[in-house]
This record gives sequence, structure tokens and C-alpha cells, in this order.
Amino acid sequence: MEFPGILDLHKNPNEDVARPAFFLDLNIDQIIERIDREWGEEVKSYFYFPADRESEDYRRKVCYDIKQAGLFEPLCAFRNKMLDTVRCSEYREESVLSLQKAVWAICEATGYCEALSGLKAALEAANSQGLLQSEGMTMLFGFLQDYMAGGEYQTLLVESRKLLDELNSLRIRMTYENNRVAVEAVDVKDAKELAPYEQFLRFFYKDNPKNLVTPFDDTVDLTKLERSVLAIFVKRRPEFFEAAERFEKSHRDFICKEFKQLTDDLSFYLSFRKFEIKLEKKGLCFCSPTVEEDKIIRAEGLYDFALACSMLDTLTQGSESVVANDFYYNNDEQFFVLTGPNQGGKTTFARSLGQLVYFTKMGLEVAAVSANLHYFEDILTHFSVEESVETGRGKLKEELIRLAPMMEAKYDKSFVIINELFTTAANYDAIIMGTNVLQHFIKQFCTGIYVTHLHELCEADKAVTGICAMLDENGKQSFKISRENIDYAECAANQVNKHRLGYEQLKSRLGGLNG
Amino acid sequence: MRVRLLYSDHEWVGIDKYRDTNNIIQDLGLKTLFTMASKDVLKEDGAVKKVLDADDFIRDVVSKVMMVPLENEEEIYYRQGIVQDCLNNEDFIEGLYRIATDMSIQWDKLGRKDNENKARSNDVSWLMSRIRIIRLFVNSLSKLKHFFASYQGTFSSEGIAGFVKHLLEDFSLEDEKKYIELLESVDFYVSEGLMADDERIVCKPRIVLECGIAGGLKLTDVQLSEIETLHQKYRNPNSTLNKLREYVDNHTATDSIILSGDVMLEKQVAELVYRIMRYIVTYLEPFYEDCAAFFDQLRIQTAFYRGAVNLKHHAERFQLHICMPKVCGQEQLHYDTLKEFVMCIEQRITAIGNTCDIDDKLLVVITGANQGGKSTFLRSLGIAQVMMQCGFFVVAKKFEAGIFPQIFTHFTRREDSAMNSGRLDEELSRMSQIIDSITPGSLVLLNESFATTTEKEGSNIAYDIIRALHEAGIKIITVTHLLSFAQRLYSETASANENKAWNNGVAFFCAERLPDGRRTYKMVQSVPELTSFGLDLYNEIIGG
Repeated sequence: MEFPGILDLHKNPNEDVARPAFFLDLNIDQIIERIDREWGEEVKSYFYFPADRESEDYRRKVCYDIKQAGLFEPLCAFRNKMLDTVRCSEYREESVLSLQKAVWAICEATGYCEALSGLKAALEAANSQGLLQSEGMTMLFGFLQDYMAGGEYQTLLVESRKLLDELNSLRIRMTYENNRVAVEAVDVKDAKELAPYEQFLRFFYKDNPKNLVTPFDDTVDLTKLERSVLAIFVKRRPEFFEAAERFEKSHRDFICKEFKQLTDDLSFYLSFRKFEIKLEKKGLCFCSPTVEEDKIIRAEGLYDFALACSMLDTLTQGSESVVANDFYYNNDEQFFVLTGPNQGGKTTFARSLGQLVYFTKMGLEVAAVSANLHYFEDILTHFSVEESVETGRGKLKEELIRLAPMMEAKYDKSFVIINELFTTAANYDAIIMGTNVLQHFIKQFCTGIYVTHLHELCEADKAVTGICAMLDENGKQSFKISRENIDYAECAANQVNKHRLGYEQLKSRLGGLNG
Repeated sequence: MRVRLLYSDHEWVGIDKYRDTNNIIQDLGLKTLFTMASKDVLKEDGAVKKVLDADDFIRDVVSKVMMVPLENEEEIYYRQGIVQDCLNNEDFIEGLYRIATDMSIQWDKLGRKDNENKARSNDVSWLMSRIRIIRLFVNSLSKLKHFFASYQGTFSSEGIAGFVKHLLEDFSLEDEKKYIELLESVDFYVSEGLMADDERIVCKPRIVLECGIAGGLKLTDVQLSEIETLHQKYRNPNSTLNKLREYVDNHTATDSIILSGDVMLEKQVAELVYRIMRYIVTYLEPFYEDCAAFFDQLRIQTAFYRGAVNLKHHAERFQLHICMPKVCGQEQLHYDTLKEFVMCIEQRITAIGNTCDIDDKLLVVITGANQGGKSTFLRSLGIAQVMMQCGFFVVAKKFEAGIFPQIFTHFTRREDSAMNSGRLDEELSRMSQIIDSITPGSLVLLNESFATTTEKEGSNIAYDIIRALHEAGIKIITVTHLLSFAQRLYSETASANENKAWNNGVAFFCAERLPDGRRTYKMVQSVPELTSFGLDLYNEIIGG
């Protein structure tokens, strides 16, 4: 049985990939950095590698299986075991002494067998509950079963196990006295029984016995002392060491390349899942998005993933400090024009939409309670470079230069996010240019969101709908996005009242002065 | 292991000082007491010959422990029992304090400070120092047990009896033997060798360990079978006989690794031994931590009682009566021949004592002649209160008072007295700080408060503040020259609980003045008078 890998049906993920252009605008780099940090190894490049249309679904189902069937822990265990095995194999390569190679080979083989049987047990359990739904996991399971039933694997398993048991039963006694170290072989009577001095030490620390972790040098290389000890010991147990050397000669390069690849590729799913678990503990939601052609976008409880990451250390369970929005595009709607007060959560909302599309395209879960959307070819973003020293025509020119390639035909059916375009141009010009941009993307069958302070753009096309960042009853930013329009006059009055600066209030506060 | 000589249920931690500690020390002159507690007197035939130099450690401890009040009767009586035992057996507390102090000095010499830090890797000197410190702990504990043996059955206090009993239990004969056995087994690591019968004896290790084999042939899963220190006669390695013996040994042993001459192997074995020693020391970690805390506490806690003994010696110098105070309700205050200890020491006098039983009075107002002993009286009450609340004796024939979790002093200090527009503001701000930190059941000592403004205004301010505090159930003892305030108070208390003010009881005191105008420096209960008899003083100094 063939196994194309768990990540992608067609492409090799090791192809050269560069960070997509929209990463910085959508703060996705910040998310990936956190994931990297939590995982402890660099997994960035996996996130630069988008799935094609078919693989997107392939990945999403694998992702779903991992979560639903509780495969995260067993897959991590498999991966760690495999990494240990690979390390053993590297040490084996580097070893100079043939005896040393032989012992590494035993460890490599037994570790490999343990990794595979652990994986098989986990997949069997999931399968028996009907939880292996994805094509990726099912193929992996089939491939694994076939492989493990093979004769080559069976021989490896039996031989290596026998040698490991023998290895574990070897005990060396060393007596250091009078400037010499005597070496003898001893028989293992009862592995659980403590040596006399260890027994004596327990008197002093009854509750928390420690073990003497190898007091020999920490490196994997043998010290001269160890080599000297072994040189004497090997002569006492020649049969075992001869058998081990024979094993080493007959079993080389037995690790199957599919499992090596799997070990690497799993870090994509597992690193994301690990981070997700951490956020879920803080009360944040994730869901697997549904991709359907007839829906454009419908999301419930959508929030800015990057913002949640940056607040991670201060977030507590059940806090509502990450604002979530419910949101949908009607079928005749293609573009939203988002207006509202400064610092009102406009950019955050636009980013959360972009992230929704990105993580869906990656085949991963998204930061929302539920989400439906259709397939987008690509993501295009244009964020204004704030606090630029350049003003006037200089900045406008820079914006247009960046905009031009986005408007090429190859990007149709993309998701487009535009944030504050043409702020340095006169309103009249900006409205005309903005309208043109919107009409262009609509014609290209793109969907998107356009954040601006120009209300007039709401009228740019019949496929455009105006939406607003809302204020609360005190006139403060609520960070909620709504299709309602804000009555700015009323908000202003609220704010005045709150600060007790209304006419009547001021009369009363100042009343004492006028007698 | 536990000391628990200061509290029956925990060791000294030094938190929960009086919130007003600095003012209490300054206003009541307690620094003198701290110093005196740290100076013993040398007596000869019952007479004081010499005051010895101060023990800074005792001074430091007394100054801290005195400022953390005990919270209830049981705690006070617990300490009083120990103080009484120590006063009866001065040798005991001196001996105990000396053991604790000597031990601490040796501990410092063994590198206590550096050893508290974590060891660096392959830090042989840290390890040697740690083993030696543990040896010092074991020896000191044995010494303590030995010391107690000669005092068996001498003590009546729960505190000392409990301390001795627990030490004997927590470091039993079996424990002692085991620790000594362990230290002997690793003695080779710290021993410098010794001489016996004119022959040099060297300490050599014998270590037996077992191990298995892991990946890459690394030795693993090590267990210690035997560790021993062998005492051998020193042999000159360069003598012909030894060289011959070594040659024969090296060529007959096929199952041994010969270390001599191989620098690399010798170094690796030394490292192996170091790691084994580190491993053994980790087993002694709880014992080390326990002992370190125990000896720390022992020195602190015995220093406190050592201070009590010293203070008693100073009371004896000036023929002052001392007694163990008793606890009663906050509205009671009974005293007989109560004296101001600090003044007696500083001025080397016996002084006049005050005697009175005040019942059901939460407010005590003291008025009267200048230079009549009002402030001295107020301080004597404050000092006795602080001494009682730390478990000490007090300088009186009898003293009974309530327990006050917080004490605040608001004394107009001499340097503050100058009429100065900014001063009242400072006084009020200080008062406001007191109000901020006051807790239910506090005691406030006011001495000439609000003297920095006119009599009328000062009276009004004092009236409002004192009334509010009084109604809040705060005990106040105030010395005041604000006579209109005192008069107003008196007339309100006299007119039978009109608006229910002052119903927590008010007592009025005056400096006693004999019919011929002489002052006795005693405080007696009396109606406040309109004059502070400044004229008396004027007449005395300037002349009539």
C-alpha cells in the first residue's frame, strides 16, 4: 500500500517556500512565532506552505481526526520516540568501536519498533471507535498495518527485543580501592532490590528517594574509564557481544522513509494543536471550518488570533477581553466597507477575517466558534504604512505602486483586505479612486473588506455593504462590528454627559459661584 | 526540628510589626532598652562591678522581637513562663545562647554564605564545605543533647520543656548514630589525615558500585553497594619496598584497572567520586535545610531571652521592682509602683512609682503642672505595655492591662514645639496617617498633641478627633495642656450621659500637688484644673 504523506497529496513540502506577503499585515507572523516558541522547534516553514484546493480538505480532515480521536498525545509520543530512534541511528553512524555500534543498533531497532507499535495501538483504538475518518489517517493506518505484518519487520522486532533483554540483564560491579578499580560481572538477582548503601541512604530521605543518574561523563562518547571497564567486562560475557555485532551487520537502514517523513510532517499539526490546547485552556474557541461553495463567509464568535496571542499571559479563563464578532456575507454581497471610530477595532476585525481565510487555506482550525466559507484562491492585503515620514504625493505614490500588482488578473477569486487606502489624498480624489478599486475587485470575483473613514464608499457598488465599528452606551468603543449605522451625534452627547459637562450640569456645578 | 521558644506554634518570622514601630521606638525611648538588653553586667559579691560591651546580635533581635506584639493571653503567658525559667536559671540560657553563637561562628568559618548558593559544576570546595557543615550540625546537636542532660527536670515552662523534649525526639539516639555512620563512611573526602601512635594515618576510600549498560555502551543505572573510609598507615610511595609491591600487584591483577600514572583515568575517577558524593549529599538536603533553619532560629530565640536576663540585671542595678504582668480587659488598667524604665536607666535613678486601679475607662486624660511627671507617666504606661506584649516582665510591683494589637504614639516632640504655621499641618497629617492604619482595639498615646496652634483651635481639633476615636472603641491615653478641651470633656461626662457621648468611660488625672505647692511627680485621679501651674514653674525659676 502506498502512503503519499500526511501533509499534501501532490507537492513535496520541502520545496523552497518563502513567507507570503500578507503575513505581516495580518499579524500571522506573530501567531507562528508563538507556535514556534511553544513547540520548541522551528516549524515556521510549514506555515509558509499553502495547500492546493484538494490538499486543503485532505489536511482539514486529518486535523479533525487528530482532535476528535484524541490522537495528539499518542502522536507526540510516536514522534518523540522516532526522534530518539533517529538520534540512535546517528550515534551508530558516528561510533568508532564496533561494539558500540552494535549496542546503538539494538537501541535504534527496539526504539523504532516501540514507536511503530505505539502508533498502531493508538490508531487501532481510534479506528475501533469509528474515529478514523480522514483519508490521510486511514491510508497511514493501512500502510502501517501492512508494513508491520511484513517479514523483515518481524525479524527485526524479535531479534532486537531478545538482545535488549540480554543487555538489560548485564550488571557490572566496580570496586575502587587502593588506586585501582576492580571489575566483575554480577548476576542480576532482583532488579527491584536496592544495593546495601542505597538502602542505608533511604533512611535519610524517606519520602523522596532519588536515583543515582549516571555519574559517568554526560557526553554520549565513552570516557577512557568506561572503555577500560568495558574492555575487562566484554571478556566476561563474550557470547552477548558477538551476537550483538552480528545483529548490527545484518540490520542497517531499516527505518522506512515514509515514517521518517511522517515524523517531520506531524510537527505541522501537532505544534498547532499544542498551542490550540493552551489557548483553549484560557477559554478561547477553535473550530474546524466548513468549506461550501454556496456560502461566501459566515462566522460566529470570530476573534483576532494574533491579538489573543499577545494577550495570552494576561488572559484568564472566562474573561471577555478578546472581543468576538458574529458575521456573515449575504450571497449578493461581495465587499464590506468598514467605517467607525478610531481604535474601534476596525483593523482587528479585518485581520481576523484574513486569518480565518488563511488558516482555512492551511487546512487547520480557525479562531471562531463556527465558520463556513467558500474556497479562495489567494489572500491579498494592502495596509497603509503608518507614521510614514513621507507625505502627500510620496505616500500616495508608494500606495499605488504596491496596489498595482494586486490588481492583476491572475488574482481573481481571492480574498482582499484593504486597510485605509489613499488617506493622504483629498477626499474627492480618494472616493473616486476607492470606488474604482472596489469595482475592479468585484469584477474579478474577489471578496473582501475595505476599512476606511470614507462613508461614501458604501455606495461604490451594489455588491458593497457598509458596516460599522460600534460604540457602547457610554460612547466608548465596544470593538463590536455591526451592520447598523452609528448616530454619531448621540454618541457625542453620551460622552459629554458622562463627563458632567452638559449645560445643566455645568450650571449646577458652578451654581455656588454665582450666589 | 523545632525551637518554638517565642511562639508555641511557629518559629520567628519577623512579620506583623507594630505599624507605628518607628514612632513607638522614638517616643518611648526604646533604643535605650534595646541597648541595655544587649549589655550584661559583671557582678562581684552581688554588687555591680562593670557593664559589659554590647552584643549587637542580641540588640538586633530584641529590637525586632519587641516590636512584634503577641496577640493573645496564651502567647504572652507562654513567653512569660520561659522568661521566668530563664531568670531562675541564668546559666542555662547563657549556656544555650553560647552554644548557638559558637556554632554560628564556626558555620561562618566553614563558608556558610557561599555554601547557601547552589554548587557550580564539579565544585569540589563547595561539596567539601557542605559535608563539613553537616558534620558541624551533627556535632552541635550532640552537644545540645549533652547540655540538656545536666538540666533535667529544672524547667516548669511549657516552652523550654517542649523544646528539649522535641529535640531529643527529632534527633534520637538512632538518628545520631546513623548520621555519624554516614559521615564516617564519607570521611575520606573531607579528612586531612591524622596522627596515631606517632604514625601518620591517611584516609582512603573504598567504593563499590554496580551498574548496567545503556545505548552506545554507556554505563548506566548505577547503584552504590558500599562506601567506606579506610584508615591506613602512610606509606612512602617512593620506597623500594612499595615500588616492588606495586609492580607485583599490577602484573597479577587481570581484572583491575590500574590508575596510578594515568592522569586521564585518575581525573575521571576523581569526577566519579565527586558525583557520588554529590549524590549522597542530596540525601542530606532535608537535614541540612532543617538544621540551618533550626540553628538560625535557636540563635535568634535564645538571644531574646538572653536579653531579658540582661534587662533584669539592669533593673536590679537601680533597685527596681519587676513583675510578670497580667492580662485583663482593655478598659481596665491596674498598676502598683509602675516606673519609667528608660528614664531610670538613663538617669541612673530609682524614681517615683505610680499606683492606681482604673476600671471601665477607655479614655485617660492627664492634665496638670508642667514638669510634674505627666509625660514620664505616659511613657511608663507605654513602655510597660510594649514589654508586656512581647512577654517581658515590667518595672512595677503589679501591672494588669488589656492587649492592644496596635499601638500608636503621637508625641509633640521638643523640636516640633515651636509655633510655626507648617507644624499644625504636619501634626494633622501624622494624625491622619494614624487614622489610616488604625485597627479595632488599638491603643493611642497622645502627648501634648495639637500644641502647635491656639488653645481654642487645638481644643476643638482634639475634641473631634478624640471623640471619634473614643466612639470607635479605641483606647486613648492623652497628656494635654488643652485645658478647655479637658474642661469641656469633664463637664460632658459629669452631666449624666446626655447625648450618650463618652459612654466608654473617661478617667482624669492630674500631677499631684501638695497644699504647699510642692510637686510629688505622682499622678492622681482628679478634676482637671484650669491652670497648668506654669506660674509655679515661673515662680520657681524666675522668682515671684
